[in-house]
Amino acid sequence: MSKRADAAPTAALGALLVEALRVTYRLPGGRGGTVPALRGISLTLPPNRILGLLGPNGAGKTTLIQTLLGFVKPSAGTVQIFGAAAGSRAARARLGYLPELPLFYPYLTGRELLDFNGRLFGLAPRVRRARAADLLERVGLTPAADRRLAAYSRGMLQRIGLAQALINNPDLVILDEPTSGLDPLGRLEVRRLISDLKTDGKTILFSSHELSEVELVCDQVAILSAGRLLRHGNPTDWQQPGESLEQLFVREIQADRAGNAA
Amino acid sequence: MRAAGAIACQVWRELYRRKDIYVLFILLGALLLTLVSGDIFGVAGAGRYVLEAGLLLAWAFSLILLIATTARQLPTEEERGTIYPLLAKPLTRAEYLLGKWFGCWAAIWAATALFYLLSAGVVWGQGGAVGLPELLQAFLLHGLLLAWLGAATLALSTRCSTAATMALAWIGLAVSGLVAPAVPTVVAQAPAVSRELLLALYYALPHAALFDLRVRAVHQWGAAPAGAIALTAAYGLCWTLFFLLLAWLGYRRKRFKPTT
Repeated sequence: MSKRADAAPTAALGALLVEALRVTYRLPGGRGGTVPALRGISLTLPPNRILGLLGPNGAGKTTLIQTLLGFVKPSAGTVQIFGAAAGSRAARARLGYLPELPLFYPYLTGRELLDFNGRLFGLAPRVRRARAADLLERVGLTPAADRRLAAYSRGMLQRIGLAQALINNPDLVILDEPTSGLDPLGRLEVRRLISDLKTDGKTILFSSHELSEVELVCDQVAILSAGRLLRHGNPTDWQQPGESLEQLFVREIQADRAGNAA
Repeated sequence: MRAAGAIACQVWRELYRRKDIYVLFILLGALLLTLVSGDIFGVAGAGRYVLEAGLLLAWAFSLILLIATTARQLPTEEERGTIYPLLAKPLTRAEYLLGKWFGCWAAIWAATALFYLLSAGVVWGQGGAVGLPELLQAFLLHGLLLAWLGAATLALSTRCSTAATMALAWIGLAVSGLVAPAVPTVVAQAPAVSRELLLALYYALPHAALFDLRVRAVHQWGAAPAGAIALTAAYGLCWTLFFLLLAWLGYRRKRFKPTT
């Protein structure tokens, strides 16, 4: 089901509920100037779905993700994660997050990083050890588990980042550019992992510039441009015959820019 | 608090893997052994000056380690981007700050204990005398100085870069340790208005010199009265709490630089 962005979201509680979200940044220099980063975004994401967040650079994807995580306070509107306010302890307990370009502590080993993250969730030592071993296996890092992160390649850091995002067995996983910097094999592994997460009942939101990746794994996409939500829903509902997601994306962005210019 | 403990352990791990402490420990050992190898123990009571040198270096090294370690904690997390996955966990900013402060303080104080042990050990090994109660009191107050100075450095780092924090912390320490004790002398000769201002400044500054019992330990003047130690400890704790509160106020609503 697709809908235009200005339509109100359904009242039913989803994994993620965003209503009329506005975020405005103050311009540096303290002269009172502001710049709108998100302009009235509304979307819902039901549980056990994969949402791809798309948009050109500066569209507001990272700001939206940071608002969901509670790092950025909305200027207006609400964001709820499984019914809890974004940024609250209850919401964060059900979240897993992989940042773009993860540069984790170089002096820790992969296993220690997972153990540290498990401690932050208050997991018992035995649970932490078991989960760390399982996740290292899932992301293919068991042989490198006791190597310092300083010696990890870009792809290995991305995979250990994914593992740390899953240490608490989260219900909603937010991935910021999870395949950036990975070789084709690495991308395939991440795609497989994302599909496995869905099979496990997780809800996943990820931002990406790799539209082919998004097309392969997502049930829904949300297209942002200049802080506005242009489209949200199943892309097959809007794609013209034979049109790829990339072509659809370019068409939507160009139409939006032409509309703004007019 | 469990989360704060996890952060503290991680800071501790970082510090002991960076090897700064080992380098300073070896340097201290080498300097002290060089001193004792000159047969200065042939002079009666000269061992105390080796202890004085050891404690002076222990102070210098502990302050260098504390300021450098604490100043880089928050800015480095922001530069690396590790702050994002960290604060996405069920961890409050207060717990995060507390963990960072406690980790730095506990690790550096433990390292300071090693420096004290090495200094005292070298003197004992050469047959010199060391007053244990004075040394323990000196170590305790040294730890309290590290506590409030660490909290002050952390508070600065909530708003400044690592380099700026380090520079400001050293300036603050110099004012607190060198300028503040000289204020009463200046007050006596100052005009009335300046006198009030100087006295206000004198009482508003934390006094690092109060926490320095090195001379007492070196010359074995006997343990300081327990009441005086307790009062100084309370004074140090008050400043620690004050600076931790400042750190929290500076950090609780801090917005990191998001890219749209």
